[in-house]
Amino acid sequence: MTEKFYSPHLYVHRFLWITLLWMAVFNAGAQTAVTEKNIRFIEYHGFPDGNSAWDDIGYNPVDNTVYVGITDHRDKVALYIYHPAENSVKLKGFVSDLGKLRPFQWQAKIHSKFVAGPRGEMYFGTDGGESREEYLMDHPKGYAGGFIMKWDPAENRMTNLGMGMQYESIKDIDVDMTTGNVYAISYPQVHFLIYNPHLNLLKDYGRLGSGHVPRMMFTDKWGNCYYVDWRQRLVKYEKSQDRLIFDSNSLPAFEGTPGEHIITGITAFAKDEKKGVIYLVTYGAKVLAFYPQQNGIGRVEDLGGVIDVPGKEKWNYYVPNLNVGNNGKLYYIIGGHGIYAKKDQSLFVEFDPASKVPKVLFEYPSTVFVEATGCDTKDKDGNMYFAGKRNVPRSAEKRGNLAELGDQPTVPFLVKFNPDKTVY
Amino acid sequence: MKKLFVCIFQLCVCQVYAQYDFFSPQEAFAIEVSLDNTSLKRLPVYRNAISSLIVSGDYIIGGTSADEGLAPFVFTASLSKKEMQDMVDMDKIIPGQRSIRTGFSKGENNIFYAGTLPGTADKKENAGGHIIAVTVDAGGTPVVKDLGIPVAGEGVFSLIIDTKKNMLYGITWPTGIFFSYSIATKKVITYRDIVPTAKELQLFSEFVLGPDDYLCKALAIAKNGLVLGSAPVNRMFAFNPAAEKFEFFKKELPEVWGRRSLGQIESWAIATNGKLFAGNAGDGQLLEVDPVNRSIKNIGKPIMMPRLRGLAFDYNGKLFGIAGALPGYAHLFSYDPAKEGFKDYGNPQFKMVAPGIEQGIDWRGFQLGTIATSEDGKYIILGEDEALSQLMVFPADAAKD
Repeated sequence: MTEKFYSPHLYVHRFLWITLLWMAVFNAGAQTAVTEKNIRFIEYHGFPDGNSAWDDIGYNPVDNTVYVGITDHRDKVALYIYHPAENSVKLKGFVSDLGKLRPFQWQAKIHSKFVAGPRGEMYFGTDGGESREEYLMDHPKGYAGGFIMKWDPAENRMTNLGMGMQYESIKDIDVDMTTGNVYAISYPQVHFLIYNPHLNLLKDYGRLGSGHVPRMMFTDKWGNCYYVDWRQRLVKYEKSQDRLIFDSNSLPAFEGTPGEHIITGITAFAKDEKKGVIYLVTYGAKVLAFYPQQNGIGRVEDLGGVIDVPGKEKWNYYVPNLNVGNNGKLYYIIGGHGIYAKKDQSLFVEFDPASKVPKVLFEYPSTVFVEATGCDTKDKDGNMYFAGKRNVPRSAEKRGNLAELGDQPTVPFLVKFNPDKTVY
Repeated sequence: MKKLFVCIFQLCVCQVYAQYDFFSPQEAFAIEVSLDNTSLKRLPVYRNAISSLIVSGDYIIGGTSADEGLAPFVFTASLSKKEMQDMVDMDKIIPGQRSIRTGFSKGENNIFYAGTLPGTADKKENAGGHIIAVTVDAGGTPVVKDLGIPVAGEGVFSLIIDTKKNMLYGITWPTGIFFSYSIATKKVITYRDIVPTAKELQLFSEFVLGPDDYLCKALAIAKNGLVLGSAPVNRMFAFNPAAEKFEFFKKELPEVWGRRSLGQIESWAIATNGKLFAGNAGDGQLLEVDPVNRSIKNIGKPIMMPRLRGLAFDYNGKLFGIAGALPGYAHLFSYDPAKEGFKDYGNPQFKMVAPGIEQGIDWRGFQLGTIATSEDGKYIILGEDEALSQLMVFPADAAKD
């Protein structure tokens, strides 16, 4: 039988531990609740025909600005730059003019990210993005091909760096910050391209997919670039060897995930550089933590689903956006392209990678917020940005609609969010 | 009545938005033969562009082309199992080869012949492309036998068998020497009649065209025993093996005005009635060639783009082919002179099922390099020409009028 031992010293210890525990619980509970003050929708002006943005949003750390491309889905793509310090959105012009394009080189949108280069220059790729490209293809009435472009903020000048592949859009790009090389993926043939702007050298590493083009590529801190093949296996451009290497395993997926969701791969990423992790969201609605390494493909951790609505398949949520806050939590908006967690509702979600628990912060009807795009776009004050869209009633001014986003026209806006402070 | 009107209206609306449907017959399938870094039996990246294709019984036999500095494979896939069977690394059989682009010609005893292109042009005696003989063993594994270098310092750019004579005929790369090879005696005879002249080479230089652009890519054996092919510039030749004489057709290959220098035969198919059809790479015309009258009929172009990379007849006498290539997109087409003429199926898209992707994924063929029919003519097999290439198979009957 164990002898009970009572000591005043032990009581003090116990008291202290209980007090600390209560303080921790209290503080956790007292974390400032996220409210409407933490989010702001910012309108674009000067391009009334512009109806959407895609993944074409990005942050320039050199001058603390956010870039967005707004398109009319026909032949006009506007470049907007948001200055958080000035709280201003400026229309810098249209890609067709700034990029010195002829009418037969029309571009219907920018689908790629805006990515900062080593000296604060911003890179992006252009996209055919509508029926003329999709169906007329290599016909003279079809699509000439997408271009790699560079915006120099110091000189307010766009430089056309040339075409990727003839007749092919550029769906996404990224930049090796150490060499300045630009990575790109083509559409619809899914060719992995590397452009060396110093030598004007474009190298084609071949087709990596087929029936549907994964929309997202991303880099690690060493400048290696990642993409996925048709089995949703990570494909890494191993810089040190100038070649592609393939993971032997597919990324985690829910049982029953259809092939068209597997083949579409990753829809969004966000980097937490302090923790050395890149968070990924797949088209099968998985949240993953990827730990890159300089050589070889790193470890992948399955953090679970983006959300779990009773009665709905776990893989069937659409999340084409992701940001990571300074608090280490992930933020994303679920909904779009006909796939909604709740009918005609977008959910703004906070996901804690530690607990693997999603929490819905806001619910929006599609007339307020129908879809968001954009990855890893955070300014120096921890404000995160998404490219948002909302449905509006059809009118004489607003006629165009995107089939993916319902029958109603859409209006784009910039989403600014900070869970830790009021957003202005 | 009101409901009928609504249905018709909806149908019209749907047709306005759906500019095309993929050719995706339910019975069609893709076989994953390429996948890098896997424990599955698969061809590695950059070594799998399917440039040679034939079917023997249940086995599809493929020969590949590799990127610079890499070696090709010979592989087999099972039609009934819809899966990769086995493969042979050519680097272990004949080191230094890059491409098998001339196969396969079926000889006696189910032996399949092809030629190889070397990795580098080397004029040494022991360098150059080889003739290979491929068989498939009882387990479905390809067995490759090296028959040697027909022309030292040259690759084998095109090759065909005359089964009656047990002879192979070919054209070398990069010079364009015509040769014959006796399978029985291994004797090689070379002919320089179709080697481009200095003046012709100057013309090609003006248009920045190389041997890949002007040498004949495919040969045919006509029922009358003539060996047919194209010769620079834009001509059709007939080689008479008995007389060892070349004859050139009086009329040149049909051209799109101004593009004479691009004339190049790259595919053939022979119908059961002996009619010969050829594909002109230059502008993608389908030609009907009469080896008796030495005449060529221009049937037309199945699509706007150049190239006509492959032709194959099904069991019903329907001709299938591959039109177009980079920088555009390959289209599967059929040609039926009696009924619909040309029919374009576009990029085919078939379901690909394999271990790890049991639910199936849609595989769209953008660049198709080769086409073949099953022995019974009931299946059409397409080989992709990509960094990671797969086989695409459909029942011929699925391509109905």
